[in-house]
Amino acid sequence: MNTLSEIFRKRGYSRRDFLKFASLTTALLGLPPSMFPEIVHALETKPKPVVIWLEFQDCAGCSESFIRSTTIMPTEVLLDFISLEYHETLMAPAGEYAEESKKEAMERYKGKYILVVEGSVTPNGVYCTVGGKSNYELLKEAAENTAAVVSVGSCASWGGIPKAEPNPTGAVPVYEALKGKQVVNIPGCPPIGDVMVATIVHFLALGKLPPLDNLGRPKTFYGQTIHDRCYRRAFYNAGKFAESFDDEKARNGYCLYKVGCKGPITRNACPTIRWNGGLSFPIQSGHPCFGCSEPDFWDRGFIYRPLSVVETGFGVEKIAAGVAVGAAAGAGIAWINKKLRGGKK
Amino acid sequence: MIDVEFYDFVRGPLLEFALYFFFAGIAYRFLRVLLLGLPKDYAKPKGNPLAKAIEKIALKPTQGWRFFMEVFAHRGIQYIGGFLFHVGFLGLTFFVPQHAFLWKEIIGFEPPYMPQLVADILAYSALFSLFALTVHRVFNPVLKLLTGKDEYFANILIGIVIFTGLFATRWSGGGLYVWMLNLHMLSAVILIIYIPFSRLSHFVYYFLSVFFYGWNVGKRGVSF
Repeated sequence: MNTLSEIFRKRGYSRRDFLKFASLTTALLGLPPSMFPEIVHALETKPKPVVIWLEFQDCAGCSESFIRSTTIMPTEVLLDFISLEYHETLMAPAGEYAEESKKEAMERYKGKYILVVEGSVTPNGVYCTVGGKSNYELLKEAAENTAAVVSVGSCASWGGIPKAEPNPTGAVPVYEALKGKQVVNIPGCPPIGDVMVATIVHFLALGKLPPLDNLGRPKTFYGQTIHDRCYRRAFYNAGKFAESFDDEKARNGYCLYKVGCKGPITRNACPTIRWNGGLSFPIQSGHPCFGCSEPDFWDRGFIYRPLSVVETGFGVEKIAAGVAVGAAAGAGIAWINKKLRGGKK
Repeated sequence: MIDVEFYDFVRGPLLEFALYFFFAGIAYRFLRVLLLGLPKDYAKPKGNPLAKAIEKIALKPTQGWRFFMEVFAHRGIQYIGGFLFHVGFLGLTFFVPQHAFLWKEIIGFEPPYMPQLVADILAYSALFSLFALTVHRVFNPVLKLLTGKDEYFANILIGIVIFTGLFATRWSGGGLYVWMLNLHMLSAVILIIYIPFSRLSHFVYYFLSVFFYGWNVGKRGVSF
């Protein structure tokens, strides 16, 4: 089986390109420079990782993002580098042939393949079936002999939009469906392609998962908030805020907090890695972060209102209701007291 | 419970409950004070009670300066500390951008907001003066007798609100930032709930008591 180094060479890339990729990946994973030779050696000698990619209640956006992880690895190399044994959107076979090839891969690479899951799972009901089997059944079956489980996207990591209120299909995230099994969560809607690739490379090169936070996210990428790394942070500190989308202030780089930015409570690597080869990310394009990599972001609602306001709103009517209740209670108790005092007399 | 869920809970249902509680509590206390049922004063007024009451509400803070030198000599820490604390705390409450956006939601218009640098100065002055005033309470024999658990609890709570707010704006320590925000908002919510039933509600009763004081001054026809 080909190694990454061989794939680079076969695709016409130089050794310098390969070393660039290795050094970038080492840096991206937050590994010390001393690990660089180890990473290079592993990528030169270890066979490419076998991946079985399952899609459940999803939109295939994570797959799209994955194959566009161009910052660290060119797409044509990526698709050769990872032995995608099963991926409904990308694979050529369909129907029974596809299911057979998955079964075969699961047998052949027992205990060695990486299971990547995209989309939420429905343990109850038959809302999402493939080849006559429910998604829950398919997940259990594939997760049984896997080397690692990686949930990509907010749907697989937290339930995402399918799990949003009122959650008609009873969707749950992968870690809930696979209780007791270590699951790496790479949330985002979609997650950054390079983060997915780097996590797989870490597993391949070092034979273990990267350090994870308490929600199972790689700390290197999800250890800080968007706010901490945002290039508009200086404007936040200066109290300069854009009033509406694409106004003069927004174009001048003012902070988007007032138009609903959820960067202060969202952990992701968007401001540093960015998208499309490091070109841009939502905040740079003038749209506030809506916190897609945090649990239940869709149910948070108030996407285009500042983070500091009351989620359900609190205006004059609610003030009047509060005052009316308090005044009625105060007057009522005062009246009772008066009556009691009168009675004593 | 994870930090973001806790954050959603604090700034969602808990903050809304606290605001309801605050307005209901203030109205309740206000009505209870108004309907205390003081005996009716049948004496004929020697001056104009209503005019004097309005004058006192409008001008009392400026009239206090007539006794400045006299009082300042004995209560300098309270004068300076009290002034710095009130200016700082009220400034932060209304004119920090994030708070101004919340006020827009509540009162319908947005107070002008200030740059972080000004907010920082106000926060430091409020924090240090609050600390000085608290220490002064502990060591001044008269104030010590007048001070109860209510004052100490209120001072600590306000100190936490200001400190966590200041810390949150200067934070660059990674994902724990959300917990810092949580602590700031939780302490603020507890403060909002605590205000109506503590002496902190003096910011409302101040006007009532000054009106009452002015009314009596007017009725007796005295000059202050």
